[in-house]
Amino acid sequence: MSRLILSNLTKRYGALTVVDGVDLALEEGEFVSLLGPSGCGKTTTLRMIAGFVPPDGGSIALDGAIISAPDSVLPPERRGMSMIFQSYAIWPNMTVEENVAFGLKLRKLPNAEVRARTAEMLETVQMAHLAGRYPAELSGGQQQRVALARAIVIKPAVLLLDEPLSNLDANLREEMRFEIRRLHNAFRITTVYVTHDQAEAMATSDRIAVMHAGRVEQIDAPHLLYARPRTRFVAGFIGRTNLIEGNVANDIFAADGFSLPASSMAGQALPPGPTLVSVRPQSIGLHRGVPDAPSGHPVMQGTILERTYLGESWDYVVSPAESGLRLRVAAPPLDVHDVGGAVWLALDPRQLAVVQ
Amino acid sequence: MALWIALALALAFLVAFPLIKLMIASVETRDGAFTLNNYATAYGRARYLEALFNSLKLGALSAAIATLIAVPMAWAVSRTDMPGKGFCWAMVMAAFVLPPYLGAIGWILLAGPNSGFLNVLWRAVTGAEDPIVNIYTFSGLATVIALHSFPLVFLFVKSALDLISSEMEDAANILGAGTFATMRRVTLPLAGPAILGGFIIVFLETIALFGTPAIIGIPARINVVTTQLWQFFEHPVRMEVAAAYAMPLLLITVAMIGAQKLLLARKGFVSQTGKGGERREIKLGAWRWVMFAWCAGVGLFAVMLPVMVLVQASFAKAWGRGLSVDNFTFRNYYHLLFEHDMALTSVWNTIWFSAAAATIALIIALLVAYMVVRKLSRFADALGFLAMAPFVIPGIIMAIGFYAAYASPPFAMYGTAALIILAFAARFLPIAFANASAAMRAVHPEMEEAVRILGGGRMTAIRFVTAPLVKRALLGGWLIVFIVATRELSAAVFLVGPRTRTMSVLLYDLSEAGNFEVLAAFGGILLVITMVFVAVGMKLAGRDFMLRRS
Amino acid sequence: MLISRRTIAALAAALPFAARAQDLPAHERTLHEAARREGELTWYSGQYSAEHSETVGRAFTARFPGVRCNVVRSTSQVAFQRLSQDMRAGAAQCDVFSSTDFGHYSLLKRENRLLQYRPENDAGLFPDLRRADPDGYYHTSFMGLYLMAHNTRRVPEADAPKKWTDALDPKYRNQIAVGHPGFSGAIGIWAVQMRKMYGWDYFTRLERNRPMIGRSSLDPVTALNAGERGIGLAVPSSSTSLSISRGNPLKLIYPEEGVLATISPSAIPRNAPHPNAAKLFMEFTTSRYLSDAIRPMFGDPIHPDTAPAEGMRAVSEIRLISPTQAEAESGVPEVRELWRDTFGV
Repeated sequence: MSRLILSNLTKRYGALTVVDGVDLALEEGEFVSLLGPSGCGKTTTLRMIAGFVPPDGGSIALDGAIISAPDSVLPPERRGMSMIFQSYAIWPNMTVEENVAFGLKLRKLPNAEVRARTAEMLETVQMAHLAGRYPAELSGGQQQRVALARAIVIKPAVLLLDEPLSNLDANLREEMRFEIRRLHNAFRITTVYVTHDQAEAMATSDRIAVMHAGRVEQIDAPHLLYARPRTRFVAGFIGRTNLIEGNVANDIFAADGFSLPASSMAGQALPPGPTLVSVRPQSIGLHRGVPDAPSGHPVMQGTILERTYLGESWDYVVSPAESGLRLRVAAPPLDVHDVGGAVWLALDPRQLAVVQ
Repeated sequence: MALWIALALALAFLVAFPLIKLMIASVETRDGAFTLNNYATAYGRARYLEALFNSLKLGALSAAIATLIAVPMAWAVSRTDMPGKGFCWAMVMAAFVLPPYLGAIGWILLAGPNSGFLNVLWRAVTGAEDPIVNIYTFSGLATVIALHSFPLVFLFVKSALDLISSEMEDAANILGAGTFATMRRVTLPLAGPAILGGFIIVFLETIALFGTPAIIGIPARINVVTTQLWQFFEHPVRMEVAAAYAMPLLLITVAMIGAQKLLLARKGFVSQTGKGGERREIKLGAWRWVMFAWCAGVGLFAVMLPVMVLVQASFAKAWGRGLSVDNFTFRNYYHLLFEHDMALTSVWNTIWFSAAAATIALIIALLVAYMVVRKLSRFADALGFLAMAPFVIPGIIMAIGFYAAYASPPFAMYGTAALIILAFAARFLPIAFANASAAMRAVHPEMEEAVRILGGGRMTAIRFVTAPLVKRALLGGWLIVFIVATRELSAAVFLVGPRTRTMSVLLYDLSEAGNFEVLAAFGGILLVITMVFVAVGMKLAGRDFMLRRS
Repeated sequence: MLISRRTIAALAAALPFAARAQDLPAHERTLHEAARREGELTWYSGQYSAEHSETVGRAFTARFPGVRCNVVRSTSQVAFQRLSQDMRAGAAQCDVFSSTDFGHYSLLKRENRLLQYRPENDAGLFPDLRRADPDGYYHTSFMGLYLMAHNTRRVPEADAPKKWTDALDPKYRNQIAVGHPGFSGAIGIWAVQMRKMYGWDYFTRLERNRPMIGRSSLDPVTALNAGERGIGLAVPSSSTSLSISRGNPLKLIYPEEGVLATISPSAIPRNAPHPNAAKLFMEFTTSRYLSDAIRPMFGDPIHPDTAPAEGMRAVSEIRLISPTQAEAESGVPEVRELWRDTFGV
């Protein structure tokens, strides 16, 4: 049975529907991210899970029991969850140790146990040597570790994280990303993680729910989300992509400048009619001469229109000959082409994703 | 350069010299020889020590009661969905502007053990023999003081609570703490420094308070430091002994402020603003009415009941006879307005002394704040420190310092209006400074730099950009100083001359004459005047100008 | 504007008294001329109650137009404290000093703080009140009678004390109100007199009855009016009678041992800023016009031409007690300290 189930969850503020019929099920021990641009409803969804915001429709069930419905909301303090806030909300009037022990004390555990578990937890997040410090004396990353320790030490039924890394600088963010995943691997706490940063979501999550305008667009494992986006929004939001319009007829997908067997893309037959295809810049081969492509892999000649060096790769804009398309193509740093230079493009149908 | 020297001189005159003079006087004989006899005299009697001890006890008790009253109010107003917040504000504001000695007289009428209205009512309803409240007790005195000083705690705590992001509370909620557990274990401790600060302020105000202990403390047979200081001014005037006797008060004050700093040094309460500082009102459900009842109760006891009995007494022939048509008269007001030699003069004195003091304080404060905020001189911070120093000097000590420094020749300012105005200006300089520097900080220096890059001088920038931007805030600051000056008693009582008596001093004199009806009528006049100025302030400087904390 | 309105009011109120210059005796006329040039005087008044003092001040200005009287009314000890503070600061602010603690005057005279001036009108006072100081540094301006009173609702006639010592009866616990010798001059004199008659034991026993302590000798009257207390000790007959006339359920008690009389003078400080106005005021206080002014408010006349107020016993019918001036001068500071030790305030 799933641990946490959101069914048709809806929240309106006046005329504005900020969460619009969200369905989501988390398995025991699963780490799911809610990913989306600001205003997509992900934080509101999280706060509904926490119990701070009552839903206007639908329900939330924890271990089979309804904990949120429009008429009855179990207050946050009785959900057995814990949460990490954007501001960390580390209480500045308590030491690191007192912060971490707070939830345990509320559970009226014996003092010895509180002390032991707190110490163990601080050890785990590598904060044991700072147990007596006050939060004002800690760096941002250290505060973050305290927040993690405080949330995890109570062994919550569900751990909620609200953009926990958004206030850290880039290096620290990367470090903490792995720290969060490491802790998850260690404790296997069912986790909902809200972020607008796809790299963060990719690095930490078992599955990602991409949200847009209050709806979940797609839920999938991170690599599938990247390779098999199912909607135009997801394709555009996750990584960079080329969206190519075409038409399917007689199992042939025909676009401006190339065509290929439709079933070779999706692994199945596609219904005829206009079809949109997403292809990642990394998935397009860029060659100086005519590439030696397997049959069914379309090959096109083209001209470099623009180029930008991004550090890890080149970003070329290529216009295929006899076509109105403009394709973004990524190439390694030493594959240098001048603007106006002639190149060859090779497409692998398996890397093309049909989107709605 | 010339400006800062002028400011330094002004501050030395207003703050440093009186204090230094006081310290010197405490170790000098009248002829100027060094002696420690003053201290021996000041602490040579058990009664004097007991007064000191009483003051400390009274300060602690009043501060504790005030904190107990104010903290739930501040929490309810700042963080919950309690109804009637506007009413609550009004009550806090009214309690703040009501002069403490007037409240004390109101409470004598309310809670005199035999004749107080509350006790008469209590006996009538229950048939009990004993009074329900007795104002002439230590706890009665402390409660009356607390009922008029709790707004200080309220202001401190509310503004601290306003800064706490709701996530701090959410974090406790999600870990399993309910609304009240969260308030108790997270929200209030977060406001801890403010609560402590408010407690200390009330403590210091209480031990420096003169009027209420004189009016209630004597019948209750409680001697405190201030009434004892007053005794040292009996013939022969032993100002040196008073100076020596005042020293511990000063030390206690400095020590408490120091202790507070030390206590809070490590904990970083700055971060309580947090990021993502969203604030939501806590839904209290039925409890919101309980909180409202608490606030309304405080308003009832701090403001409504005392004012009601004062108004009744002011229109009564004999207040003990209660409400009846044949007991009603305008005679008390008529007497004050048309017959009394000093009443109107004192009204006029009060208004113009307070106005002059507010103006002087604000001008000095503004200039110092400008120098401090814009870092114009490396001495600016020292000036800022001097401007804030009177904050920790009890008013009555300030007055004795002024008496010691300026009463005798060569200054010979005793009894002059100038001396009182300067004493008021010095006493309330910190309020003016806090207001002025908050206003200054709100004006980004780039606003002025933009003028200067276009070719305007600093003065042009101040005149056309800075001044208009801070005008409203300064007006608010001026009015606060003005209003607190109109009710100031302890600084005035040692410095007034026969023609320079203020309303507060005249009220004190009237309270000696045992005629509560005339006294109440004069209090009524004082209240009307204060209300007019508060109303003007709200109109010109915004509804919350008195309570904005800077 | 404020001043003129008050002046008009004062004039209107006192019109019947108004005297034209030619009606004044020659010595007053001369002084009046000189005083007019000074324009005003400041009177530190601890003798008469606030209401009486204001009335006296207005009556003075009405009789001597052009000379304002600034009334600074307080308890006698506070008035003396102000005067001491003035002297300490070297400030000259007070023109006439009036205190019920007549010990103040021998002290001030010895310290050479007073101006020598004997008002001509002094000769017209009751014979016993004339020439208060043989050297003419101070002159009688006030006679106060201090006795007991009870609130007839709280303490019925039959239960009321008859003698000063009756107040020590434990049955009056929590019933008594009294002023404070640290503030009121008359209470200081009274305490000296009680100590003289019964020793300080009188007060240690009084303390056991938990009296309510006010500041002024008038405070007990207020407490009686309100019903806060049942018995007032050493209350002034004038203010108590005024209170009775206003309908308060009070009754005077003439103690069997005698009524305390404080026959107290006024004096002009040597450095008075308005000496002529001060002298004129001294003439006024020793004339019948002062006694006339206070009579309607039950003040005790000190001039034989003024009859006692309606219903008041004539002084000649009462047994009076009082300490000597020497006893007062040394005794009041002593009893003040003793009082504070005994009562704590």
